[in-house]
Amino acid sequence: MEFLLQLMLGAYVVGAAGSLLGGDARWGQGLAALGATLGAGATLALGAVALLSSATLTLTLPGVLPLVGVSLRVDGLSAFFLVVVGLVGMAAGIYGYGYAAAYVGRYSLRRLGLLLNLLLWSLSLLVLADNALIFLLVWEVMSLSAYLLVLTESDQPGTVRAGNWYLSMTHAGFAALLGMFLMLSGGDLSTSFQAMREQTGGLSPLLRDIIFVLALIGFGAKAGIVPLHIWLPMAHPVAPSHVSALMSGLVIKTGVYGLVRVALDLLGGGPVWWGGTILALGAISALLGVLYALMEHDLKRLLAYHSVENIGIILIGVGAGLVFQRYGLMTLAALGLIGGLYHTINHATFKGLLFLGAGSVLHATHTRNMEDMGGLIKPMPWTAAFFLIGAAAISALPPLNGFASEWLVFQSLLGSAQIPVPEIAVFMPVAVGMLALTSGLAAACFVKAFGITFLAIPRSHEAAHAHEAPLSMRLGMGILAVVCVALGLAPAWVTPLLGRALTGLGGLPDTQTAFTLGVFLHAPDGFGRMSPLLTGLGLLVLLVAIPLLMRLLRVNQRLRMGDSWGCGRIGQTPRMEYTATAFAEPLRRVFAELYRPSKELTIDFHPESRYFVQSIAYKSEISPLFERWFYEPLLALIQRLARLVRRLQAGSLHLYLAYVVVVLVILLLSARWYS
Amino acid sequence: MIISYLLVLFKILLALLLAPGLVGYVRWLKARLQNRRGAPPWLPYYELSKLFGKEVVMSNNASWLFRVAPYIVFASAVAVTLLIPLIATDMPFDRVGDLLLVVYLLLLGTFFLALAGLDPGTAFGGMGASREMTVAAIAEPTIALAIFGLALGAGSTNLGRIVSATLAEPGVAISPGHLLAFVALFIVTLAETGRLPVDNPATHLELTMIHEAMVLEYSGRYLALIEWASWLKLLIFFALLANLFVPWGLAASHSPAALALGVIALVVKLAVLGAVVAIAETRVAKLRLFRVPELLSVSFVLALLAVTSSFLLK
Amino acid sequence: MNDALFAQLSTLGSSLALLFGITLLWRRSLSAYISAFRWQSAALSALLVAIGYLGDDPELYFVAIFFAALKVIALPYYLTRMEKQLGGERESQPYVNVATSLILSGLLVLLAYAVTRPLVIVSTLPTRGGLPLAVGLIFVGLFVVVTRKKALTQIVGFLVLENGIALLAALATFGIPLIVELGVFLDVLMGFLVMQVFVYHIHGTFESIDVDQLSELRY
Repeated sequence: MEFLLQLMLGAYVVGAAGSLLGGDARWGQGLAALGATLGAGATLALGAVALLSSATLTLTLPGVLPLVGVSLRVDGLSAFFLVVVGLVGMAAGIYGYGYAAAYVGRYSLRRLGLLLNLLLWSLSLLVLADNALIFLLVWEVMSLSAYLLVLTESDQPGTVRAGNWYLSMTHAGFAALLGMFLMLSGGDLSTSFQAMREQTGGLSPLLRDIIFVLALIGFGAKAGIVPLHIWLPMAHPVAPSHVSALMSGLVIKTGVYGLVRVALDLLGGGPVWWGGTILALGAISALLGVLYALMEHDLKRLLAYHSVENIGIILIGVGAGLVFQRYGLMTLAALGLIGGLYHTINHATFKGLLFLGAGSVLHATHTRNMEDMGGLIKPMPWTAAFFLIGAAAISALPPLNGFASEWLVFQSLLGSAQIPVPEIAVFMPVAVGMLALTSGLAAACFVKAFGITFLAIPRSHEAAHAHEAPLSMRLGMGILAVVCVALGLAPAWVTPLLGRALTGLGGLPDTQTAFTLGVFLHAPDGFGRMSPLLTGLGLLVLLVAIPLLMRLLRVNQRLRMGDSWGCGRIGQTPRMEYTATAFAEPLRRVFAELYRPSKELTIDFHPESRYFVQSIAYKSEISPLFERWFYEPLLALIQRLARLVRRLQAGSLHLYLAYVVVVLVILLLSARWYS
Repeated sequence: MIISYLLVLFKILLALLLAPGLVGYVRWLKARLQNRRGAPPWLPYYELSKLFGKEVVMSNNASWLFRVAPYIVFASAVAVTLLIPLIATDMPFDRVGDLLLVVYLLLLGTFFLALAGLDPGTAFGGMGASREMTVAAIAEPTIALAIFGLALGAGSTNLGRIVSATLAEPGVAISPGHLLAFVALFIVTLAETGRLPVDNPATHLELTMIHEAMVLEYSGRYLALIEWASWLKLLIFFALLANLFVPWGLAASHSPAALALGVIALVVKLAVLGAVVAIAETRVAKLRLFRVPELLSVSFVLALLAVTSSFLLK
Repeated sequence: MNDALFAQLSTLGSSLALLFGITLLWRRSLSAYISAFRWQSAALSALLVAIGYLGDDPELYFVAIFFAALKVIALPYYLTRMEKQLGGERESQPYVNVATSLILSGLLVLLAYAVTRPLVIVSTLPTRGGLPLAVGLIFVGLFVVVTRKKALTQIVGFLVLENGIALLAALATFGIPLIVELGVFLDVLMGFLVMQVFVYHIHGTFESIDVDQLSELRY
């Protein structure tokens, strides 16, 4: 295992160095992609080995960093996240080789390759950190490299603004995390996590509550829970697509990792409102995320909003787990947390796949606007097939992976009847309803996303002349597509591993044997059992048997091509097709109270007669709830404060020096008095 | 063992055989109630054989997805049939899937049908797909809550367990929780199977149609598969309503007499539910599309009350 | 006395009353409001009879008769007459749209369940299962009064609210003494008559019974 750890760190460094030296040259790019892929592969292997053997590895390198030393630790939870990072990182590394080729001459490839490796390096290391200082340092490296990656296409409109939003949100979160770790460690950031675990029991309940709230804010800002989600739909779309996949698949998951690590592991669980708050925020994020995604016609922004939705689903599982843990229902707690973690890896794979697919579309058509796409299934059959798998998986359709994890989360919620306090339990059905609505709406949204993008007639010249993605990009997508199917069929084997990985966190018992009965996935203390593998097999058998039977029974097999039925009108043009806006219109009406859409209709009549219309312009927008009611007032407040501060800023150098002197004097005086 | 699996085969064949008859019967009864003579109840069988004998005309714009979708729709409906109780309480596939899987398998069919609706690029197909997905999405919470209500009573989401729990404790069947969940699921059945007042199965009027608009481009054997699957879906929902809430009559053993009784009980239950739907469709007018969410939120509230009262009785 | 049957019946009756209360939120026409109120009152009178029989309290039969006379026959009759005189006004645009109202009312019932839980735990009454539903009905009545615009629908909302209180009283105490019950009926009747006068005045002034218009009186 130590060899794998060294290989992992080494490969990323080689990749970064290769990119730095090679620049735009092919070998440099090859080395960058190779480093990322190999490093991610080693990450995956390390995680898998640790997960399968349930071994823990502790590594202390006192000499590397002065004062604190580097201490790393692989346990079940970090091994699981290593697997997630490795899977998506590998696919993105391979994909990036082809994708970045289009950047030659336009953007700096040197920077892209370097930062990509740095981001993967920090992601892999973050989950291994075993004291607060290392965690925070690596966290900051991750945030900054992601920020710089977002800025890759900085000449495009909106990119810099998105980067600024991301940077300020992530730093607000960092401030909260710093405060949280200071409280948790009693002021000494180099305290190891193990020491924290032992002393958190002695903290006062109020302090524990404050620590939890800070963790929720800090990790929530990274994970993108409502209302801290607004940077996701800005930053994810403008980044290069394989970076979007990493950000959506991995970077926001570090928020989940941190929350589980701190709330469950370090603090050992807490009062019921902790879990309840996470659950409620999760349910709200899930529903609002998918509702805003439905109104989005920019393919990558749509996917970014779906990340908010899926983080919500993950947090429903995690929150339910914490609630059950509080009441001592440990098997149910494990069920909820396993559901959450399972959805974490599932979302990482299918969202990674979808972002890579969107990248291929962007690569081929140079637009992210769905209204300009259409018919791409014919020129890009591979991309279309992969995207379809991702779309079906995220819509939780059996037998793909989204279904498996949503099933687990549902089962844990159904178990809520066992909560001994019915005042709490009675609100669980609301969460069930919201989760169900979310998954229904997600299916509607991905019918839109796939149908408008890939089906029917091309809506623009670019879409009509699209081309299939190069081999490396198809390979990257193919890996994730296979993983999506495999994770969907294999929950009976994956859940025991997760059960074992969670053992001991917050006093959870070892549940690895509780979940499966051979090929059947069994929800202990939940309500059901099922077998995705047999379901998948059954569907496959039926899909083969039905056409065969039809042939045997001499059903007419002839097929003739013809025009679409156009009510007698000849010649069908793309303008007659249903658009993405039109597709989402019924839902916009249904949820009008949330969207508060504004309509603007301008009709130019012919000057002679009102019976002749020269042009019609129709504009409709939905009102951005959070920007208007949360961020605009907040920004106004900050600006007002800034104006107050400006009074101090006279611009005179002497005045500033005087400030320094005054502060110095005050400090010295106070030190004299209080020591 | 073998008998169990043979029974499953028999169950599928029976469901496939009964489904067109059920639809024909509802149509015929509705016509009678409206003082029309109506087509004979076995007309759907003729329709199927006619469609299977005709060639397919496919739009130039459509892709391979259009050709695959009918098989996926049909296969998902048949797979669901494997999981639900029809004539006997013995269900060898009960462990393979629970009610949640049933719901999501049906959603799988809807998903691909909606995609196929978009594929030929006509306005009708898009309109139907958009509306179908809207209705399907809003119906989802009610279904989940009704499942929750049933599962609370039975301690399981697996259908076999729900059936046996109700059989063991008949008083549950008239508890408020059960009754409310039944009404909620009935409303959802109307929405999911495209009946009045949500969709009008008998019209081709572009302003109102949902399902018919989506499958407008289909013909020949593909249309036959899709129509058959949608009829099967009606039978599935009826069977769920009948056998989860009123499980009496399901054969408990493999004796021919019990099985025969099971078949008869199924037919009777389907006939009763069909009559209820026919009467309801005669009495109500179609709702405007944008009042459908109101109807579905009624069913949602009913399901919520069902779960709450299950908690109450606990 | 059969406690299990008693519990089942009281929960069933309360559920019915609550369902008819929620019906108000779904319907728009005034006549539907009135008939829902009438059915609800009928269910309540039947429940009163059942409680009287199973709780062995013959006085409740009289209460049930009065209840039915007032709320199943008299008040709906007057409401229908008013509706005819004022023209069939519909509740077409409530402050909160129908679907949202329904979901909110569902949440209100959950809330009622949560707040009455301590009471239900300590109670040993066979009727305790209906208590949360009665409180839920009170909430729903209030919700109708708050969110509906027409004066007549608000009156029905008020009457539903009153039904909720009556239900709560019947479940919690097996019917308060007859004389108190009669006083409450008189109160309701008086309240109704006063509101009736008001509605005619509003209609006379604004040619409409949309209470939104009352805000114009400020100027």
